[in-house]
Amino acid sequence: MKINILYLALILCALNSQAQTSTFPVNGATDNRHTIYAFTNAHIQTDPEVAIENGIMLIQDGVILEIGTAVKIPQSAIIYDLKGKCIYASFIDSYTNYGMPEIKRGEWSPRPQTTSFREGAFGWNEALKPETDAAKIFTSNIKDAEELRNIGFGTVQSFNKDGIARGTSVCVTLNAEDGDNAVMVKDKATACFSLDKGSSKQDYPSSAMGAIALLRQTSYDAEWYRNEKNKKEFNITLEAWNGNLSLPQIFETTDKWNAVQADKLGDEFKVQYIFKGSGNEYQRMTEMKNTSAKFILPINFPVGYEVEDPYDAEFIGYAELKHWELAPINPVAFEKNNIKFALTTSDLKDKNTFWENLLKAIDYGLSETEALRSLTETPATLVGIYDKTGSLKKGKLANFIITNKNIFKDDAVIYENWIKGHQYILQDYNAIDIRGTYNLVINTSAAPSLKIEGDQFKIKSNFMLGDSITENVNVSIIGSIVTISYSNKTSDGTVRLSGIVNATSKSMSGRGQLANGTWVDWMATQKSSFTEKIADKDTTVNVYPTLDDVIYPFQAYGRKKKDPLAFENISTTYNSVLIKNTTVWTNEADSILSNTDVLISNGKISKIGKNISAPTSCKVIDGTNKFLTPGIIDEHSHIAISGGVNEGTQASSAEVRIGDVIYPDDIQIYRQLAGGVIASQLLHGSANPIGGQSAIIKLRWGAAAEQMKIELAPAFIKFALGENVKQSNWGDYNVSRFPQTRMGVEQVYYDHFIRAKEYNAGWEKYKALSASEKLKTNAPRRDLDLEAIAEILSGKRNITCHSYVQSEIAMLMHVSDSMGFKVNTFTHILEGYKVADIMKEHGIGGSSFSDWWAYKYEVKDAIPYNAAIMSRVGIVVAINSDDAEMARRLNQEAAKGIKYGGMSEREAFKMVTLNPAKLLHLDQFMGSIKIGKDADLVLWNGNPTSIYSKPENTIVDGKILFDLGDDLNLRKEMAVEKARIIQKMMLKKGEGESTQKPAWHKQRLWECEDLIEDENYLNAN
Amino acid sequence: MQTTMKKVFSILISIFCFTNLCFAQQPIPAKKQTKSILLMNGTAHLGNGSVIQNSLVGFKDGKITLIGDAKNVRIDKSQWDTTINCFGKQIYPAIIAANSTLGLTDLDAVRATNDFNDVGDYNPHVRSQIAYNTDSKIPPTTRTNGVLIAQATPRGGVISGTSSIMSMDGWNWMDATLKTDDGVHLNWPSYYSRNWNENAGFGMYSQNKDYDGQKQVLDKFFAESQAYSKLSNVSEKNLRLEAMRGLFSGTKNLYIHAELLKEITEAITFSKKHGIAHVVIVGGSDSWKCIEILKKNNIAVMLNRVHSLPLRDDDDIDQPYKTAAQLQEAGILFCIQNAGDMEAAGARNLPFQAGTAVAYGLTPEQAIAAITGNTAKILGIDNVMGTLEYGKDASLFISEGDVLDIKTNNVTYAFIQGKKLDLRNEQQELYHRYEEKYGIKNK
Repeated sequence: MKINILYLALILCALNSQAQTSTFPVNGATDNRHTIYAFTNAHIQTDPEVAIENGIMLIQDGVILEIGTAVKIPQSAIIYDLKGKCIYASFIDSYTNYGMPEIKRGEWSPRPQTTSFREGAFGWNEALKPETDAAKIFTSNIKDAEELRNIGFGTVQSFNKDGIARGTSVCVTLNAEDGDNAVMVKDKATACFSLDKGSSKQDYPSSAMGAIALLRQTSYDAEWYRNEKNKKEFNITLEAWNGNLSLPQIFETTDKWNAVQADKLGDEFKVQYIFKGSGNEYQRMTEMKNTSAKFILPINFPVGYEVEDPYDAEFIGYAELKHWELAPINPVAFEKNNIKFALTTSDLKDKNTFWENLLKAIDYGLSETEALRSLTETPATLVGIYDKTGSLKKGKLANFIITNKNIFKDDAVIYENWIKGHQYILQDYNAIDIRGTYNLVINTSAAPSLKIEGDQFKIKSNFMLGDSITENVNVSIIGSIVTISYSNKTSDGTVRLSGIVNATSKSMSGRGQLANGTWVDWMATQKSSFTEKIADKDTTVNVYPTLDDVIYPFQAYGRKKKDPLAFENISTTYNSVLIKNTTVWTNEADSILSNTDVLISNGKISKIGKNISAPTSCKVIDGTNKFLTPGIIDEHSHIAISGGVNEGTQASSAEVRIGDVIYPDDIQIYRQLAGGVIASQLLHGSANPIGGQSAIIKLRWGAAAEQMKIELAPAFIKFALGENVKQSNWGDYNVSRFPQTRMGVEQVYYDHFIRAKEYNAGWEKYKALSASEKLKTNAPRRDLDLEAIAEILSGKRNITCHSYVQSEIAMLMHVSDSMGFKVNTFTHILEGYKVADIMKEHGIGGSSFSDWWAYKYEVKDAIPYNAAIMSRVGIVVAINSDDAEMARRLNQEAAKGIKYGGMSEREAFKMVTLNPAKLLHLDQFMGSIKIGKDADLVLWNGNPTSIYSKPENTIVDGKILFDLGDDLNLRKEMAVEKARIIQKMMLKKGEGESTQKPAWHKQRLWECEDLIEDENYLNAN
Repeated sequence: MQTTMKKVFSILISIFCFTNLCFAQQPIPAKKQTKSILLMNGTAHLGNGSVIQNSLVGFKDGKITLIGDAKNVRIDKSQWDTTINCFGKQIYPAIIAANSTLGLTDLDAVRATNDFNDVGDYNPHVRSQIAYNTDSKIPPTTRTNGVLIAQATPRGGVISGTSSIMSMDGWNWMDATLKTDDGVHLNWPSYYSRNWNENAGFGMYSQNKDYDGQKQVLDKFFAESQAYSKLSNVSEKNLRLEAMRGLFSGTKNLYIHAELLKEITEAITFSKKHGIAHVVIVGGSDSWKCIEILKKNNIAVMLNRVHSLPLRDDDDIDQPYKTAAQLQEAGILFCIQNAGDMEAAGARNLPFQAGTAVAYGLTPEQAIAAITGNTAKILGIDNVMGTLEYGKDASLFISEGDVLDIKTNNVTYAFIQGKKLDLRNEQQELYHRYEEKYGIKNK
């Protein structure tokens, strides 16, 4: 499909649209014309499945009057004979901001902004703008409309792409010249959402999980507001939110996992979102299918990189290379999985690459039928305008395009795009084709033969034998006027000719001027017509990648779907593992078992003993001279999280959930498996006294986000004390959010726990009412922040509290005593040794760093003997990482308990296995080697507390997810695959595909204090 | 273990005559060696790759005067004021924390305690020596693990300043100085710079658009420094250029901090162009990829933390663990250093960084050399320290077990130039205090 950039904008049919609307006064004589146009002899593709050969279509007043083969053409009709040509419905883009005003972004300020600066009766958060009505702020944009029309579009959905709730959209046609009143197809078509707060400068939310929490809370608020009798506040935001509920809801995602997250949110409120995809959905089609959502997919495929320099090329990750090669398969994946999808141009930087990319997707296997559907019927259906457009049917809008042939062929041309009866000519199919070879005669003397060839709309010309005597040959035609110029080398100047084409005699003639100014007569007669050169058939058969080439996870060290060792396949590859003749550190009373066999069946430890025989479908590992231990559990981790770990913008963010934003493609998962880690508590950061809710996962490399969570894990929440929550090291501007002292921190807790109690009481009271009383009474508002805190009070949620100095540790214990809740774990707890006896009395565990100190004032008294002291006092002590690097060698960190404080090897090792399992209340099925427990094991090549030892196998739920030997195989596979793709990238560059400079996508590593918007807080904890 | 230590202590008290037996938080700097000491029958790890299983190590007036195999050397015990039986124990040269902020910082987040990064991009004249705080609370906690010497190193800018080699014991920076102004630290421009427009969570680094420009400025600075260094009398003294002189005369090292292959190779070419005699690559995450150019130009590497994450997602997951072994294998002189987050406090883990490198290919003796002998060689102080050799400083320590393995690292004696250090520190003091409080002393 070639797009002629030289767009011939001949507006033949300048209907005065305003004249058609009755409310507008007319200046001068009324000029309503109800002309009927008839299009005959065309191949009419009425919808993706049905075509009419030699069809006739009548249109009048912008609407299709009749369509079919036996249509009677009224005498008054203007007839277009479209023999050999095709008609399709104009395309629909269901995701644009066409005609929307520019979004104004306020100036950046280093100061926090805790409240909304928006004036008016709006809700509390600036990022929620459900009242935005795109129809009211829409104005046609002639330039943008033209750009979209030129690639075949006739209608778009448009909305203001700003905020988390973005309001309602409008559907408009692209006949921009006809006035805004004429283009409206539907207002309030859909309601649009995202996780991007856009122009809002208000702090909350600062993370993806915060944005999800805001949507969740607002949904409840809106429901409550709707049902509230005698409203005390009028809230435009909630009014609009409720008003939009009946509309289709579109949710913009920036990654495949976003769709999964948002779908879960939707399920809570029985909302089925339509997802605007990000283009990498093909990497997780099972999960996409499970959302039951329809998708709007972008068609901007990644541009290749300049890989000539092998060193630069090394920074392009394996995942990026794979994505470059596989991205065009995205729509194909949806077709293959029978998921409805529309295509959008919205993410295309250059709209002219639309056809190139679409044809690429077709090469990759997208059917033409589905391609057409995704541009017509599906988007129209999604936004609720299929009754008006999206197919060619009597009564629908006269929105259609005329092409020279099947539009999905490489050399197809869109001649015209009719929108609401407004004819836009993109290429004039009536243009005279002057291509051919001519005898040129100037003033009776013969010049060399003139050859005009090339594309009909982009001719190239030359003199056949003239290279030595002529240059700069230029032929152009507008209508029937032809202009020819060429330089004559011998006479040193340019000859300029102008004339008229005679299409029937296939000749051109006129007058012209020689270089010296002499006027001459000229004539050119065609001696042979132009014949299309048939390119040598490309005999190489292009092999396109398939969905089988996708790796799981889509990251370095991922595996192809059919790999027997891919996560999904392991249990069919083997369902038991037998480790033979090894030394077992059980963490049970028996402690060490020598020359012992351990059998794993169906993910559980099933036998421990000598000479156990291998069942069928069993993988046998020789454990001679090796050590088998329970896998490492990291009580404090921030890996595998997307979109930020802190929602520290308010003193309490108990409503946010790490579980909403688990990111299973994090390379750290694999690296930590290699260090023997099998499970981690993913914690919210420590930016506020009451942080967010944790997720406890097993490192199931290759699994989906939800599959990573440990099903039976109890609920946890992060609390934090000290310098981070009082923003001591945040610079001089962050001095306004309460609390700024340890005194204030105490009051935050009292305030929240008292309010949570009152909240509970309010609900109890309401629940006790009779059904009839309930009808008359306002239900309390659901407050997810207080609800999470109330869960602590009722013992349903455990606290892991970031803590350093003794005063604050004692303070929280006091608060907990007086408010009647329990602190489960103090994490970091570097001065735990100073209050170990009180912690012991309270039955609180400690999860500490082995030897960190001196990184800030509150850790100046941190000592490496802390773990040993606490443990000798009788506290359950764990050693955690809070650091993606250190998590890879937590066995070493545990061994510091031996050096500093003289713990025994096995007691020390328990600090990273059984003890964290206890702190997380997972010890009934994790943390030791015991029949019936989860088979989460590590086989070490030496004593696990020695610096010289490393894991050879890490087993999670009986699946060997890290194996030294397999790791080497994966490296080799990756190297081969990378080399292949790089060769292909260079080949494509040679074929003219555009490229970009290599970039380095370095993963952001989260630590406790990291705020998403500020890079200054990279220092940990 | 505690009982043997006690015995040893009671003997030593009379010999070394502590003036103050009550611990006053900061250990008292040691006195000059006046009596000769002989360490008998310990396993001596020389720091040059060799080991003597049953050794004799004797030192007088701060210098090693005897080193040998007990089987081959006859000694007269009466010639020695003190003999220490080291049977079953390990003797090592002092571990050197190269490229460190030890003594220049106390609490990372407390600005007032930070003295390693000054204003300006080109600060060769800024000297760490005089900011080195002998009363810092951190060095006493690294000494207990065998880390006794530090290269106190400025940070920041393009040229951070000039480092000095400092002893982790002394009343003031003057008597802690082991070598003044050993070299100038240059932070090579980054080939990649962060693209701030990317969505958070994933950092997109694009090729640094100013890279060439930054190199040009640097090139000019060196050219002008070199030109200036040729003047013996200058009418207008330029402190910055004065500080650069030593690089061209060969009395100072040029430490180029560079991580990526292109940065390293260009840094080497650059230093050759400007005729710098002693060049060291610091960091060198990609050094394993530049073996040839490092070798050809005889450039040493002060290698990044072994305990690091791989640079690129696709890199071998154990790459930072095995880089040391790859350099060793290629015959490149290297040492292991600990710059980075929490570097001063973390310097005490230097032996364990070396230990991890053993798990990934170094031999134990190579690993010891990587934090002692090699380090001294690279710093240009190997004539006086770094190894247990005749005539060198008696800067060494005794560990009850393997110093590289966390669980056996237990330093019971340490000497800097023969001075016996008080190995107590505030952290131990707090430990004992709370052992007392809870009545939980280990028996």
